[in-house]
Amino acid sequence: MSTAAGDGTGGGTGERPGTAARAAGAVAMDLFRKSWFVILILVVWWLISATGLVDPYKLPAPGDVLSTLGTLFTERALLDDLGATLLRLVEGWAIGVVAGVLLGILTGGSRFLEDGIRPVIAGLQAVPTIAFLPLAILWFGFNGTAVLAITAFGTFKPMALATYGAMHQISPTLMMAGKALGARGLFMQRTLIFPAIVPALVTGLKMGWSFAWRALMAAEIVVTGAAGLGGVLELGREIGAIDVVMAVILVILVVGIVTEQLFFTRLERWVNQRWGLVGAR
Amino acid sequence: MEQPALRVIDACKTYDRSDHAALLPTSFEVARGEFVSLVGPSGCGKSTLLGMIAGLLTPDAGTIEALGRPVTGPGDGRAIVFQDAALFPWLTVLHNVEYGLRAHKVPKAERRERVEDALRLVHLDHVADKYPYELSGGMRQRASIARALVMRPEILLMDEPFSALDAQTRTILSDELQRIWLETRPAVVFVTHNLIEAAFLSDTVHLLSSGPGRIVKTYDIDIPRPRDEADPALLELRHDMLDRLRAEVDDAAERRAQVAEVSAL
Repeated sequence: MSTAAGDGTGGGTGERPGTAARAAGAVAMDLFRKSWFVILILVVWWLISATGLVDPYKLPAPGDVLSTLGTLFTERALLDDLGATLLRLVEGWAIGVVAGVLLGILTGGSRFLEDGIRPVIAGLQAVPTIAFLPLAILWFGFNGTAVLAITAFGTFKPMALATYGAMHQISPTLMMAGKALGARGLFMQRTLIFPAIVPALVTGLKMGWSFAWRALMAAEIVVTGAAGLGGVLELGREIGAIDVVMAVILVILVVGIVTEQLFFTRLERWVNQRWGLVGAR
Repeated sequence: MEQPALRVIDACKTYDRSDHAALLPTSFEVARGEFVSLVGPSGCGKSTLLGMIAGLLTPDAGTIEALGRPVTGPGDGRAIVFQDAALFPWLTVLHNVEYGLRAHKVPKAERRERVEDALRLVHLDHVADKYPYELSGGMRQRASIARALVMRPEILLMDEPFSALDAQTRTILSDELQRIWLETRPAVVFVTHNLIEAAFLSDTVHLLSSGPGRIVKTYDIDIPRPRDEADPALLELRHDMLDRLRAEVDDAAERRAQVAEVSAL
């Protein structure tokens, strides 16, 4: 269940010698299919900078970016910035998730409350979160708290909407079964409504995470006082060090892929299995 | 005279936005410990009637009394088993069965004891820690029956509980239900479209017809228990019910044709 290898291509261990070779070939083919475009980009990038077609101040060579990345980690303590950013991301996301889900569950049961509140949140969701940054700076100051608030708010909106959406999809029979067994009020919200929406919420969590990540980066680029990747990015622009800018972008990219693959994909798989959404039914 | 478990007095329901079938004013009683079936084709209002008894639907007019009290909502001595089991997929069988007791704040020690008893009664004690998706359809329905019985209901409501199962499982579960009912003896209102199942299980069968739904005939079945589904008396009864239903369907078709003719004039 938990083999994280190539999806779908997990070839069985063959009895005949040819089978293993063919399985290895299939894995290689799969790897190539998923990476050829990345390789192409790198090659074109390298060619452009190697031939001097574009000024290295505008586009440094891939190797230079890599070595700058190394220097950033060893000399400018990029690890601290990465840590600060990740901490802020997790905190802001967690606050947004808890607030959004709580609001959804507590008000989603009442048509009066939902009909009043939901359109407002949907409206706010139409506004890019970063547009609220000046407001957050005025309220919380030109510091990490404002950034955290923006990250939390960016998560809160899609989470609340996802919770409302998920609550409308709870099976009516399940609700009737719960009511007939005597579930009411808070007990029902805690033991029936919340667990019933978990599979749908996992999708929301993923979306909330990407909204949090965007809001956080935008806010960090503006509020450069505190440690964080956004600050380094902005610093790179100020001093005209394009290799620094590109190195940080690379780090941001890797963080996104790693959290998606390591955390959310596994969470989703676990929930789907535990809630019986795969296999029977 | 002993008070009946259930008294339905002129309960009716017209079409509304939902898909509940219409039901003409209908009355019947269920004695304590009696097994009553509501049988009929789809659209005859049998599930509507059960929903009202369960307190999940409100009748447009008329009253329903359970254990001498007017029905205003679900629970209160009535437990229900749904067609698709409706188990909570995130809970194990044990915790599914325990759910109603938790909702009623029954102390933990008593909860465990009652859950064990209920699981043993439906022969599911060996899969207490499995999740619903790990069970077969028949086992899921057994778990659902245990979840209802653990509440020690005086009235057990069953809405086509076996209709999603294959014929073999259905026969086995019918047998099981007879045994469980003989052991625990709640009053039962059993909704089905399966005539032989109704005849096999019931003391009383109310035959309903559609367009609009109403009770067209009532059968009292006093074949001694435990019964055998192959009993010729049951087959004869089924034959009779089928004839009656056919006549009703023909009548309904004729009425509809007449209405069409009249409105064409």
